[in-house]
Amino acid sequence: MFSKKMVLIIGVIVLITVNIIVLSATSKRYTAFGFGHVAISLVAPFQEVVTRSIRFAKDLWKHYFFLVSLSQENIVLKDSLNQAIEDKNQWHETKLANTRLRSLLNFQKTLTNRVIPAEVIGIDPSAWFKTIIIDKGKSDGIEKGLPVVVARGIAGQIIETSNHYSKVMLIIDRNSAVDAMVQRSRARGVIKGESTGQCRFDYVLRKHDVKVGDTVVASGLDGVYPKGLRLGAVSELVKRDAEIFLEITVAPYVDFEKLEEVLVILNPQQHKFTSEP
Amino acid sequence: MIYCFYIGICLALIILQTTVLPNLPLFDRFYDLLIPFVIYLALYRAVREGLILVCFFGFIMDNLSGGPFGLYLSTYCWLFIGVKWTIKYVQVANKVLLSLVAVAGVLLENLIFLGASSIVGPGLVVGGDTVRIIVFQMIWALGTGPLFLILFRHLQYWFNNLVSGIFARRSNPGL
Repeated sequence: MFSKKMVLIIGVIVLITVNIIVLSATSKRYTAFGFGHVAISLVAPFQEVVTRSIRFAKDLWKHYFFLVSLSQENIVLKDSLNQAIEDKNQWHETKLANTRLRSLLNFQKTLTNRVIPAEVIGIDPSAWFKTIIIDKGKSDGIEKGLPVVVARGIAGQIIETSNHYSKVMLIIDRNSAVDAMVQRSRARGVIKGESTGQCRFDYVLRKHDVKVGDTVVASGLDGVYPKGLRLGAVSELVKRDAEIFLEITVAPYVDFEKLEEVLVILNPQQHKFTSEP
Repeated sequence: MIYCFYIGICLALIILQTTVLPNLPLFDRFYDLLIPFVIYLALYRAVREGLILVCFFGFIMDNLSGGPFGLYLSTYCWLFIGVKWTIKYVQVANKVLLSLVAVAGVLLENLIFLGASSIVGPGLVVGGDTVRIIVFQMIWALGTGPLFLILFRHLQYWFNNLVSGIFARRSNPGL
């Protein structure tokens, strides 16, 4: 009834359709049908060995072969240190003021952050997805959904764990979303990743006051990232007359190209507000 | 034995791709190194043998990547089927054609990734950066794709000679 060519074409169309359906189903959540940790456990130890060797070679190069430029760097660093000491004094004052204000508001911290340091041992093989593999897993108390930070700000979130390794989705991944707000004006929105390494700050109403250079921090309302952790700075702002939301681009503070060590927050800080008696 | 050899090559390529290349300038936007290997399997190995390995590689890559599960698996399978189908009609023995096959493989993978992202992901924005990444990867594939294929071929010969040498020595201890 059908020619061989026709059967082939129908077969290919059916296969493509099935393929799209399967991908749609699996894209809803990160799943490997329980075997994900096996693959990570198989590859990650080798990644760890190679990464440590590369880092060792890099350190050797930095410490022994780059000494020539150290004297100049030393002068610059001393200047920076003086500046930092001055800044520290100011921050100390701010911290004291903050403590006073918090006590006034009956703002109580119920938990202190317990963090665990981890090393980055591998990055995503694809240029289109932004994930990393770290050398800590379930045996270290790491669970899916925990926030991952560095000193400069939020790095991402744990999306998969094996016994000794975990996969982290960075905030620049297109599937990432962080509930955030502008530190200065408290304008709220959602930070989403883009394949360019930048982030979009969506759902910020036109009426809100946002300027280029403003710092964007986590709002804490997504239940994943502790409130106040820095995400990035507004780098581009477009206000269209016909739109109800602003078009904002945010440059993350974290340099994801040079990510080597991260901190996983084991018990994300929770704040408890108590009403006045 | 041959499967262990191929899995070894696969692991070496994945580790090279996820740990070494990102640290090298210019190589941080290198194409997926398993593409030439899948092309190699499609060109020189039997369907059943190749398909099993391709599925294994896809599974490993899917678990290491942050994309939807099955994306690499689908990509490698389609690439394998595509190359197998192509060599029925086109002779791809010379190096120029091998370069083109490698470039086509890289393009196919990127198109599947972008297509899948736009269908099942949070929407796709094809900007200048996306095009730049794809063009950069294709240029790399044009230059280095055939080299990888030749390297895999030499490794295969070396491995075959090694195995046959071992078996010959075992069956004839006087050698």
